[in-house]
Amino acid sequence: MTRGRVIGEVWATRRHPRMAGRKWLLVAEVRATDQGEAFTGRVVVAADALDAGPGDPVVVAFGSGARNALEARSRDVLADAAIVQILDGTSSPGGRFS
Amino acid sequence: MILGRVVGQVWATRKHRRLERQKLLIVRPLCWYGPDHPTDHLVAVDPVGAEVGQDVVVCMGLPARQALGDTRHPVEASVAAIVDRVSLSRAASASPFFRFPEDRRPEGLEEVP
Repeated sequence: MTRGRVIGEVWATRRHPRMAGRKWLLVAEVRATDQGEAFTGRVVVAADALDAGPGDPVVVAFGSGARNALEARSRDVLADAAIVQILDGTSSPGGRFS
Repeated sequence: MILGRVVGQVWATRKHRRLERQKLLIVRPLCWYGPDHPTDHLVAVDPVGAEVGQDVVVCMGLPARQALGDTRHPVEASVAAIVDRVSLSRAASASPFFRFPEDRRPEGLEEVP
């Protein structure tokens, strides 16, 4: 999993049938620096099951963890990345993630 | 998933039998989340019917195979959708700052406040 910020949305009507049914958000990975948050340059299209919006700090899960987040019982909806948390805050002993 | 642009198609006569009747596209990533294998181009199976010049979302790994109906396919990337438009939130992508590089801007990119 990685921490990121929602920066946009991808709209697609012509989807593979098993990829349909979820909003896709653009999430830019962030890292903490001494000057605050910075983008790492990595951006992922993540399926959204939590109704996140632009600007939200989120955690993205990859692989089968992403599929588990989308459908608890069935695996009909496919995705290789999904938003699994919208963060209220973060902390670390050094304070670098504040 | 990653955002990419279809820049070409590949054909092959000699191929794995599970790749028969599969269309293979060359996709140039517009953004990438790595870190395992950043690449300039990737080859993706296309069950959706994308054409050269269109922007697509590409799914990687097991779901890419599941989308083709059989997890035994020798495939790790498949086209999940053809992109209509991409919205980029100006407020969310500023401070810290995010922009698509000039040569990798998605078609139909719109910046919203």
